[in-house]
Amino acid sequence: MRAFLAIIRVTIRQTLRLRRAIGLVILSGAATAMYLLIILASRNSTGSLAGQRQDAIDAAVGLSASVFMNILVPVVTLIIATSVLGDERRDNTMSFLVLRPIRRFNIGAAKVVAAFLEAFTVTGIGAASLGVLVAIKIHSFAWLVPLVVGAAIATAAYAAIFVPLGYLLKRATLIGLTYVFIWENGIVAAIPGLATLSPWRIGLSATAALAPAEFTEHIPTDFALGSLNPGAGGALAKAVIMGIAAAALVASILRRRDLAGGSS
Amino acid sequence: MTTKPALAANPTIEVNDVSKWFGQKVAVSAVSCSFGPGLTGLLGPNGAGKTTLLRMLTGLTLPSQGEVLIEGARPRSNVDRYRDIGFVPEESALYDALSAREYLTYAATLSRVKDPRAAADRALETVDLTGDANRRVGGFSKGMRQRTKVAAALVHDPKILVLDEPLNGTDPVQRAHLIHLLGELAANGKTVIVSSHVLQEVERMTARVIAIVDGKLAAAGDIAAIRRAMSHIPYRVLVQCDKPREFAAALLGNTAITSVSLEEDRIHLETTDLLALGRVVARYASDLDVRLATFAPEDESLESVFRYLVDGR
Repeated sequence: MRAFLAIIRVTIRQTLRLRRAIGLVILSGAATAMYLLIILASRNSTGSLAGQRQDAIDAAVGLSASVFMNILVPVVTLIIATSVLGDERRDNTMSFLVLRPIRRFNIGAAKVVAAFLEAFTVTGIGAASLGVLVAIKIHSFAWLVPLVVGAAIATAAYAAIFVPLGYLLKRATLIGLTYVFIWENGIVAAIPGLATLSPWRIGLSATAALAPAEFTEHIPTDFALGSLNPGAGGALAKAVIMGIAAAALVASILRRRDLAGGSS
Repeated sequence: MTTKPALAANPTIEVNDVSKWFGQKVAVSAVSCSFGPGLTGLLGPNGAGKTTLLRMLTGLTLPSQGEVLIEGARPRSNVDRYRDIGFVPEESALYDALSAREYLTYAATLSRVKDPRAAADRALETVDLTGDANRRVGGFSKGMRQRTKVAAALVHDPKILVLDEPLNGTDPVQRAHLIHLLGELAANGKTVIVSSHVLQEVERMTARVIAIVDGKLAAAGDIAAIRRAMSHIPYRVLVQCDKPREFAAALLGNTAITSVSLEEDRIHLETTDLLALGRVVARYASDLDVRLATFAPEDESLESVFRYLVDGR
């Protein structure tokens, strides 16, 4: 356990560089900034108070689903998660890590957990800031916790995909972006039955299950949830299973592949 | 006790007919050798396959053919085996965000040492880095980085130490310190394998070498014995005496000597039979009343042996 925690701690210290962290937090707050602009733009609009509240909720849910969960969470997690093992390979520290008496599964699990913690620190700030702004606007924190929980589950699921990808592929970020935009926004959007294989949709299904109806009725169901039914427990279970599978995949890679490349 | 020079008497690491290829390129070809307690130098020019062989010894790289056994088991078959192995890679392998003490504490923690902090401090002292313990390794000079890597390989007190070009980037004082340290570890019964392309360094550390050329085992054993085995290459012997011209002239034409040359007061002789040459020189010196000052092989140094191995001449 001590080694497991040490890997997590060092991985986070090594990969969460200050400048990058600031940049990612700003990126993660893009949906919040967009929501703020919408609020400011609608300040002088006329209409009933009830209508204004519904518009505010509609904008919040729309941005949460279509911008924050759909784009920002995967991109932030992609950048962080591909580096937790990818950096070990690039910096030639893999030999330091693997030539130690630690179970390979534990290395994989520690890396997935580190990627999740690090990425969720960033996506969690993005989710919380958006949730707080929504609360200020509509005088209700009802969207805050569901959005943070959904972001956590989506971040965990993406971390499970991108950690092994970061080790296996040299251009993991590029390929990850292709995955996000072609698979998530192209193929799964066109075939709702595949939504169960889409991490941000899994996260959003948890958000939908935890949020009040006045929010969930604004979720663009066909695009955002596809065939998924709202359910926090199921979403959490899927993320955990994906994390375990990722750790097992990393362990298998560490057992079967050359861990130092090239000849000399 | 084995009679094959590539095989150690009490092997801790056995390399059995190991080959490694990367695509079309053969990096290591059918190498069989073993390593036991003591220090063995792994020699070879750049690109000879030393690093690939060392990586296979530790399990970092898997052989394409053959097997490497550490105390009878494949290194990757049981991760507990890594309690007994310390590895210093040629490349950086440092976490630049950590201080030297944090880095070594991390290494000790991963190696399941009981008191990682105390082990880290001992390792820092061993490589003379205590004064820089709290500095980030990202700001270290190359020599300090090398010493930090050596400390990380030693922090869990392994039985086997594999070092790939450990003296690269070190200054003469650090180099002498590391050579002394490795000698001490070998004398204490650890299996120490050091690769280097700087022959003088290896010569200072050990007499037992394994030479790899073009991925193949070129020679193994004691440096002088390897030289003696190259019977097709004449020995070069330096003779210095009080009457060099007379003595050189007298030696000309003797069947034990294939070549005589005089360079100021130094006579260079070549022979294929070193023992016979010794007898001839002694007899002629006695007959001519010549006082010999020097009779020394000129090409039994590791550098000469290595040049013969690489160039074939």
